[in-house]
Amino acid sequence: MIGSKILLVDDEVIFARNMETLLDARGYRSKAVTSGAEAVRALETEDFDVVVLDLKMPGMDGLTTLKEIKKLGLFTQTLILTGHGSIDSALEAIKLGAYDYLTKPCQISELVEKIEGAWEIKDDLKRQDISEKTRKPVESPRDAKQGVADSARPITITLG
Amino acid sequence: MLHVLSHMPEAATAVVSDMDPPYRYKRLFKRFVLLTLVCSVVPLLLVGWIISNRYQRSAETRVMAAFRNEIQHHRKVIELFLKDHRSKLELMAQSNGRQDFLQPGRLRSLFDLFNQDRLTLTDLGVIDADGNHLAYVGPYDLLDKNYAETHWFKMVMEKGLYISDMFMGFRREPHFIIAVKGHDAIGPWILRATVYTEGFRALVENVMIGRTGEIFLVNREGVYQTTSRYSGRIMENASMTVGPVHPGIQVRQEASDAGFNGERSVRQIVSTAWLETPQWMLVVRQDYAEAFAAENRANLSVLVFLLISAATILGATILVTRHMLDLVKRRDVQAETLNRQLMQASKMASIGELSVGVAHEINNPLAIISTEREILIDASQKASGMDPSFSTQLDSAMHQIDVQIQRCKRITHNLLRFSRRTESVIDTVDINAFISEVIDLMEREARSSGITFFERLSPDVPPILSDLSQLQQVFLNLITNAIDAHEDKRYGSVAISSTYLESEKTVEIVVSDTGCGMSQETLVRVFDPFFTTKPMGRGTGLGLSICYSIIKGLGGQIDVKSVPGQGTDFIIRLPLRKSDRTGNAMPPANQMEQAA
Repeated sequence: MIGSKILLVDDEVIFARNMETLLDARGYRSKAVTSGAEAVRALETEDFDVVVLDLKMPGMDGLTTLKEIKKLGLFTQTLILTGHGSIDSALEAIKLGAYDYLTKPCQISELVEKIEGAWEIKDDLKRQDISEKTRKPVESPRDAKQGVADSARPITITLG
Repeated sequence: MLHVLSHMPEAATAVVSDMDPPYRYKRLFKRFVLLTLVCSVVPLLLVGWIISNRYQRSAETRVMAAFRNEIQHHRKVIELFLKDHRSKLELMAQSNGRQDFLQPGRLRSLFDLFNQDRLTLTDLGVIDADGNHLAYVGPYDLLDKNYAETHWFKMVMEKGLYISDMFMGFRREPHFIIAVKGHDAIGPWILRATVYTEGFRALVENVMIGRTGEIFLVNREGVYQTTSRYSGRIMENASMTVGPVHPGIQVRQEASDAGFNGERSVRQIVSTAWLETPQWMLVVRQDYAEAFAAENRANLSVLVFLLISAATILGATILVTRHMLDLVKRRDVQAETLNRQLMQASKMASIGELSVGVAHEINNPLAIISTEREILIDASQKASGMDPSFSTQLDSAMHQIDVQIQRCKRITHNLLRFSRRTESVIDTVDINAFISEVIDLMEREARSSGITFFERLSPDVPPILSDLSQLQQVFLNLITNAIDAHEDKRYGSVAISSTYLESEKTVEIVVSDTGCGMSQETLVRVFDPFFTTKPMGRGTGLGLSICYSIIKGLGGQIDVKSVPGQGTDFIIRLPLRKSDRTGNAMPPANQMEQAA
């Protein structure tokens, strides 16, 4: 969706900057940060549609960052993009609620495709949430969100 | 990690070539045999030697004692003979005066009296103080002989009794005399008797001592007084040296150059004893070998027994040692195989760990290159007024960069797949049906290559618990390799057989091809990651490493046999069920992640 806000989290500064440039050129509004902590801070202060997260980072690693993001209870979807090809960490990330998984290097078109998918999920969740809120207030928006995520999320794993 | 890898081959070489095995076994064999022999044969021989020595000594004592008895007995007989004659003559001289003997017939009757039992005297004579015969009885005509100047006459006149050595005298034949001096009113006179020499000699010469023994008498000058059996005749000079007169009996061993059969330097036992009167030496001697024949025979049996015992021990030692060495060799081979497997596993683990790191580190720069490329494409699309030929060139270059990035990606992802420990999905697998499916799949692929597929499936193969998708990966890989091995041949075949090894509870699957085969050097490295014989860009060298890793992970075993030019057999053994302790061919993924 043109104009979606994307948060890029990668300790490779050049890669993050390049992705920022490429996504911006495709109409997204992206922001690159180089650590998990920075990502959590950014999400706390700003609203993003999709987070593109690297798994292997110094300090707070990708999985921990994902957990922290989940703790924030946002609609934002997380897309894993990593150079590490272990299916174990992929499954772990999916279990923790990541939207999908991509391995580096990938073409920008693939990434865009996944971002669009993630955005749609996020959008669905948000709309569902609004409609539910207008019908009757729920105890926790997170429970509802999780229920939809479990039923509607397509799990695709691409490993080169 | 690189450090470990670069040192591993050296470590392997050090273990394997510690010592040339045949030399080591030969040395071990020698040591075992020597040690056993030292501990068994040496004491045996020592005991044997001690027994033999003791026996020899006691035997020697016995034989010497027998010799002593023998010579003592003979001396006694000779001395008795002489004493008897002497006493009779002395008695005769004392009981008769000179005149009595001159009475006609008197001397003759006395002579006959002497010889009545057996012939003991040859003649008997009475001689006056001047040496003239007064009377004589005997076969010779000696009445006119005068003995005044003879040695015996002087001796008897001086000592009263004289027994002569053997001498020839007037009668020209060996004989000896006994002379006693008598006295009467006129003066001294002599009664002289010639002993019957044959009778005396028979006393000595007729004694037989074994085959090589002899007994004889010699006088102080070393002249034979009797004929010896082998050494010399009476009155000849003896070859032996006659020592000083010694009391009692002497027994000694000496090398004699004249003996039985005239042999040179025969070891003999010689015993000697001196008679009192006359001073003759009685000699009894016999070849040592004969004297000790019985003892030597006993010794020989002991020796033979010892030799047989030693030979038995030696034979048993060699057999036992050989058997032991065979066991050692077998154990060594097992140990070496285990060692090799262990090294291979650790090598694979190290390489796996390294691969994860390398793949990850390469993926990041690849990702940057990829993004840079896309930025450039974006920029070029926006740029205006570009030279069309440059634009074409740029497009082509961008395409090529993408192709190469994808190639690199394929390599790194293969690497990661190789080292990844994927979660196995264990299910019942019907091996025969599985093989048929795989062949069916590959047959279509290989239709154009002139390769025929055969399956030899044993109906006894039971279903096993394993991971079907991983097995598929292994067999597709092996069959692809088998097909590729026929590149230089127009026709060929790939055969897959299955057998159930009931004793080991394993299923054996053999993939055989009739392709180009592999050299020994290739065989050794065939499961090593990145090792490939395919042309650059065709193979990553990971296929067989992945197969190895998967089969190990499934608790099985993969081996390869190959003859260059004839083909290759891959032998896979899979357990009926994957046990829990297997499947650690690779270190766990989380460890690899940490290492990476």
